[in-house]
Amino acid sequence: MIKTENLVKTFDLDTTIKYKDLIFEDAKSYVLLGASGCGKSTLLNMMAGVITPTGGSIFFDGEEMSRKTQKQKDRFRIEKIGYIFQDFKLIEDMTVEDNINILRLEGVKTAEMDAVLDALGILGKKKKKVRQLSGGERQRVAIARAFVKKPQIILADEPTGNLNYEIGRAVVTQMLTIAKGKTLVAVTHDDRLAELFDEVIDMNAVASSVDGSGVTHRV
Amino acid sequence: MLTKKVKMLLIILSVVISASVAILAYNVAGQVNDGLINTTSSYDMIVGPAGSATQLAMNTLFFTDKPLGTISYEYVEQLQRDSRVNIAIPFGMGDSYNSAKIVGTKPAFLTGKPLSEGKMFEKVFEAVVGSEVARKYGLSIGDELVTSHGLSEHGEKHEATPLKLVGVLEETKTAYDNVVFTDIETVWKVHDHEDHEHDDGEHEEKTENAQTTDAGTTPEKGHELPGGHGGEDGEDEHGEDEHGEHAHEGTVCAILVRSKTLAYSEQIKAEFKEDSKILTITPAEVIREIINNVDLSRRIVYILCVIILIMNIFVISTITILNMYDSQKDIALMRLIGIGTGKVNIMFLIQNALIGLLSTAISFGVSRLCLVFLRGFASSMGIVLDAGRIYPLEWLIMAVIFVISVLPTFICTVRVSRKDIIRN
Repeated sequence: MIKTENLVKTFDLDTTIKYKDLIFEDAKSYVLLGASGCGKSTLLNMMAGVITPTGGSIFFDGEEMSRKTQKQKDRFRIEKIGYIFQDFKLIEDMTVEDNINILRLEGVKTAEMDAVLDALGILGKKKKKVRQLSGGERQRVAIARAFVKKPQIILADEPTGNLNYEIGRAVVTQMLTIAKGKTLVAVTHDDRLAELFDEVIDMNAVASSVDGSGVTHRV
Repeated sequence: MLTKKVKMLLIILSVVISASVAILAYNVAGQVNDGLINTTSSYDMIVGPAGSATQLAMNTLFFTDKPLGTISYEYVEQLQRDSRVNIAIPFGMGDSYNSAKIVGTKPAFLTGKPLSEGKMFEKVFEAVVGSEVARKYGLSIGDELVTSHGLSEHGEKHEATPLKLVGVLEETKTAYDNVVFTDIETVWKVHDHEDHEHDDGEHEEKTENAQTTDAGTTPEKGHELPGGHGGEDGEDEHGEDEHGEHAHEGTVCAILVRSKTLAYSEQIKAEFKEDSKILTITPAEVIREIINNVDLSRRIVYILCVIILIMNIFVISTITILNMYDSQKDIALMRLIGIGTGKVNIMFLIQNALIGLLSTAISFGVSRLCLVFLRGFASSMGIVLDAGRIYPLEWLIMAVIFVISVLPTFICTVRVSRKDIIRN
């Protein structure tokens, strides 16, 4: 279970985003809906340990992670979290399998690669360089990289952001299929996909931003 | 923007060009130096026609360059009779077998040079060859060697007077490997035969060949040493083509002398000084002078190598920095998926170390390949280059090259990791 408490993030001493407390239960899928800039990705990045909250705490199974050292957060992310980035974050010059095998640098076993790629329908692209793939295929590679290490938690930031609706829906459906039994938190601005998830969180109601002049805005 | 592959290729090329030059220069300089030292003669004096001391030394010790001319065999006999002299060996040159020069001398000239097969030449028209000559032309004992007139392989063939191969010298890695040795009388007889053939054909060639032959088939008589001698053609060398510069009947190109004492040697030299047509040199002094000149050249080459390597550091650093700048996105990406900075740094270091290792290995290979190509050219100058010879300092040069190619990456990775995008 993931729990956030009094979470606050300030950017450049200018804009502060405050979050209401949230709980994400095990083996359920959540979608965070909201307009661009409302703090959805920031929340995911703080949960993943990519950025550090300015205030508040994030607990994973009761363990406070946000104040741990960067090395500990890196270790936690590589072991427990599968993070799917909006812009895929794949190395263009590498092949699909190398993009996944890069996790082995940190001792992650990638034996499940073929099975995951097969489940996503891109096993035949394993030897191709990422630059040769379409947007949909790249997104599937990013999903495969997140799932191949069998993480407990999947965080997906706009996993369909670069895809058209039909392909995006197919990708999300596949993602939810292989994410069964895991905690999945996805961010999207496309509310048509919300019905595919167990829970929908309206970020407009959860996050509020305070600008430099101290005025609070609903986002 | 240059692609990653082009940048890698540029790094490898940049290292290979400068490093192979540095390794090659060091190796060649070392082998030339060693060759000169190894050839340091046990003779304390060389007597030859007046001319260049260096040319006389190079011709008699390294078999390179043309002989200065010839002097009468009388000088050899005179020195052999001299009680102050231990040994006086005649030295004649002028013909060739393919590209190998033929030296007419006496077996004593090859003392200390063991044979790998066969025996030493004893009779006229018998020959012993250096190991490289035997290898290059696939020669074996009993083979007949048809020699050519002059030092060029395209000279007139001495078909009627072939030499019989009776021995092959062990490899010495010196100029001796590229030479055919025979008795001095063989050289005279080959030309005596040729001259007779020319006479029979009523050729009227007014060369010093004819003059020498006219002087008789036995060593010339009637001159005292030093001072009065006749028949030598040393003074004519400037007007001659290379076909004319060889020992004719009763003449030699030089005499290698070992005196009983150094004082005797100085006495003999002083006596020869009175004869303006004769040059006497101390081989050790001339070789020392050559080594000094080579050493100066070697230092210049080393300075150039250091300059090239320093320029290399800048080129590699610039390319590496550009490379790392381009790789920042990849580094950031790896950090985002959870790869630690240490692992990212190690990955880049390994990648660049492999490039460095590959560049160093190619540089070494290129330098050896150049040595093989230079071998033929160097052997014509009396220097035997061994591509398999590696000096200990060459390993150090390669280690420095490797460090030069990896150091910029190391500095860059440390800098990049200090700017970790995840630290906030």
